[in-house]
Amino acid sequence: MTLTTLLLLASDQPGPIDTGNGFWFVPAATEYADTHDWVYSIVLWLSVFFFILIVGAIVKFAFDYRRRSNLEAAGSGPTHNIVLETVWTVVPLLLSAGLFLIGIDTYADFKTAPANCYEVDATAQKWVWQFDHRNGASDSLVLKVPVGRPTKVTLRSNDVLHSFFIPAFRVKQDVVPGRYGSVWFTPREPGIYQGHCTEYCGTGHSKMNFYVQAIPADEFDEVIAKDARWIDDYSGDRLVWAGARLFSRCASCHSLKAGERMTGPSMWDLHANWGKKKKVEVDGKLTEVTIDENYLLESIVAPWEKIVPTYLNQMPANFGDQLGPKELDALVRFVRQLDEVVDANGEIRDEPENATN
Amino acid sequence: MATLTPADTHAHDDHHGNYITCSKGIMSWLITLDHKRIGVMYVIATLASFLLGGLFALGIRTELIAPGETIMDAETYNRFFTLHGAIMTFLVIIPAIPGALGNFVLPIMLGAKDVAFPRLNLGSFYLWIIGAALTVYSMLQGGIDTGWTFYTPYSIEEGRQGVFWVGMGVFILGFSSIFTGLNFIVTVQRLRPPGMTWFKLPLFLWALYATAIIQVLATPVLGITMLLLAAERIMGIGIFDPALGGDPVLFQHFFWFYSHPAVYIMILPAMGIISELISVHCRREIFGYKMIAFSSVAIAFFSFLVWGHHMFTSGQSPLMNAIFSAITFSVAIPSAVKVFNWILTMYKGSISFTTPMLYALSFLVIFAIGGLTGLPLAVLSTDVQLHDTYFVVAHFHYVMMGSTLIAMIGGLHHWWPKITGRMYNERLGQIGAWIVFIGFNLTFFTQFMLGTKGMPRRYHDYQTGLGWSAETTELFHTYHFISTMGSYVMAVGFFLTAFYLLQSLVNGRKAPANPWGGASLEWECSSPPPHHNFDETPTPEYCYKFDHWVWNDEEQGYVRRDTAKS
Repeated sequence: MTLTTLLLLASDQPGPIDTGNGFWFVPAATEYADTHDWVYSIVLWLSVFFFILIVGAIVKFAFDYRRRSNLEAAGSGPTHNIVLETVWTVVPLLLSAGLFLIGIDTYADFKTAPANCYEVDATAQKWVWQFDHRNGASDSLVLKVPVGRPTKVTLRSNDVLHSFFIPAFRVKQDVVPGRYGSVWFTPREPGIYQGHCTEYCGTGHSKMNFYVQAIPADEFDEVIAKDARWIDDYSGDRLVWAGARLFSRCASCHSLKAGERMTGPSMWDLHANWGKKKKVEVDGKLTEVTIDENYLLESIVAPWEKIVPTYLNQMPANFGDQLGPKELDALVRFVRQLDEVVDANGEIRDEPENATN
Repeated sequence: MATLTPADTHAHDDHHGNYITCSKGIMSWLITLDHKRIGVMYVIATLASFLLGGLFALGIRTELIAPGETIMDAETYNRFFTLHGAIMTFLVIIPAIPGALGNFVLPIMLGAKDVAFPRLNLGSFYLWIIGAALTVYSMLQGGIDTGWTFYTPYSIEEGRQGVFWVGMGVFILGFSSIFTGLNFIVTVQRLRPPGMTWFKLPLFLWALYATAIIQVLATPVLGITMLLLAAERIMGIGIFDPALGGDPVLFQHFFWFYSHPAVYIMILPAMGIISELISVHCRREIFGYKMIAFSSVAIAFFSFLVWGHHMFTSGQSPLMNAIFSAITFSVAIPSAVKVFNWILTMYKGSISFTTPMLYALSFLVIFAIGGLTGLPLAVLSTDVQLHDTYFVVAHFHYVMMGSTLIAMIGGLHHWWPKITGRMYNERLGQIGAWIVFIGFNLTFFTQFMLGTKGMPRRYHDYQTGLGWSAETTELFHTYHFISTMGSYVMAVGFFLTAFYLLQSLVNGRKAPANPWGGASLEWECSSPPPHHNFDETPTPEYCYKFDHWVWNDEEQGYVRRDTAKS
């Protein structure tokens, strides 16, 4: 089951992500995005006009005044023309001034969040996003927002620079450690939109993507309320499926395929060697450890303690703070019983229907 | 005027032969004080760096040809684009035109025997060598995966020893650049022969002069930034690292306070070359000489005031963004004026489509696109969308590569007969220029579309999965594939160019003194020029009047009208 289909199951509304037939942008999904596209098209057509003028003149002159013989006299044309030179200085100046004014006018819209926004926090760290709703619901893959009501996302980074970018909304904001940032948007239609990290942040930069899911306003509160206690639906043997959902925040660095090297080691390899001994580095010295629940738990909450040789010590140190005991348990079970949940291609299987759901 | 003439430094050299044959042996090159030989060494060194940076570029493009891991993992890819950027910026486009072509032709065009400080000039070259060596050494140290911008706090994390060495390299390369600039300023100010007034200066020299001012004034900031980085790292003083109480955005201010003017260190000399190429190969007085000259100075001035436009999404205040946006538009005006002047120079010219002219025309078209695509990046609201996407990558390659490097290669062809005394194969030259032009546009125009569709830059992968829909991957795959094919086409063009240029050294026709009919002073001396450039102090005329040079079939070049008649 791919992540997209997971999302499609999660909501009955959205269709596939539309890249659009247009030459330039993906379809605009907010009113601001329409305004932005209008500004862009002004710049574009102005540029096309000047480009045709420039290339047209070059081609015409190149043809008309091509040298026919080496013996022909040197060219002789005007060497200055004060009227012409004034015109081609002043006209671009006025056009630039106009573009500047349109630019700051629309930029002011982008910068000014309306009152009574739905507020949500986004925290960036290598190489995963975490979206925290005020009711405690938390997700690292999907940012759920209401349709037709402005959402304001408050941005924070735990480590290096990142950038929060949703192309369909035409919004982008760098996420700077030590500062808060914010963006706002009002999706018009229910749907799924792509989001990316656009400030280079290291090995997993290109894996630091997310989805935005716009949910109809009348369903939204219910969905978020349910998300806040989603893990309550899982217990006993079914906790392994909770682990599968939680694993989305690990998936940008850890593969579920045998032997696939990403930023961190493959979880399938760990699972396949469960109970066996394995060499790890402790303080730079090689030592042996048994692959079991305790090793895995320690590697999540204190990943710097035991490093798998050939990998770098670069896993964030704060997952222990972000995950509760039940969630940690679910993740440990997930890896221990990985073959129950994941097929041979490393794809997570469809979750069986839950009687309590 | 010629109080600083360095003639005495050449006293030990022979007087016979040209600058290549006047003394022999490897040491006569390595410790030469002759600006022409130093220029030639720069040509070789920067072209070698260009080859290295180009191979990294081909690696990047090949990795992106298809989604998923193609030929390298993310860590290797990140090193590739970092080294590609650092090498191309600091080792190629910043020094290439002033160091290589500027060094060779500036004193001759001026009518001087050498630059003002020949020893300092040689010193600049060796500083470049040391800086380049440190940069290459840093590759072996590992951890150079920060991007050429070295943004903090990523670049100051533990385990990136290589960053220290590349920082040292950049620090030293900065001094090389400062000394070259200083040398050129003094040379143009003090070594002009009698009669060479400011408004008789070839426009290439105006451009080099404006560039030199930026080099001297802006480059120290780069040095300061590198020292602050070192201080933070070694002494733990919080400057840029938020963990120590610093501010990462401050680093961006420092970095762009140098690196934006540096963009004009790259493009201004290229514009100077284009002024020469177009007027000479159209054999037509340049249109609006003073406007072009003053616009170089205006661009140099404005270049110091626009750095913040690299940071519109960084979180700096909206007011600052508005101010930087306004000033950014003001740079567009002198650039546009130059383009109009060049085009009007073609009007009623006698246009010969030689290889240098084809490169000049490539420049005009590419620079027009590069300049116009700067507009949506200067408009605040559209920049927010386009920033850090492939649109920006395409834009700066149109300006830095398509404009600066194309002008550099055009200039190299223009002065190749003068530098080497040999003519290259003109037909192959024209074919090469076309191949490069087509390959370039295939590679980079598609990247504008990638960018507007939302492909972020510095992405190793665009495989369907986490946050990438199948539709997006399919679309981007098409664009990336075209772009990569374009880069291969470009590589063919460049290798062809390297082939026929090297071939010309072996069996090229001997070059006449003035193959193109140029009227600036370098065409007065033989090809290659004599060691002292001029036997007697030349009498400079306005170098954009071409009437007194006429074609001579025997010479296969141009001769002065008075000698032709006699």
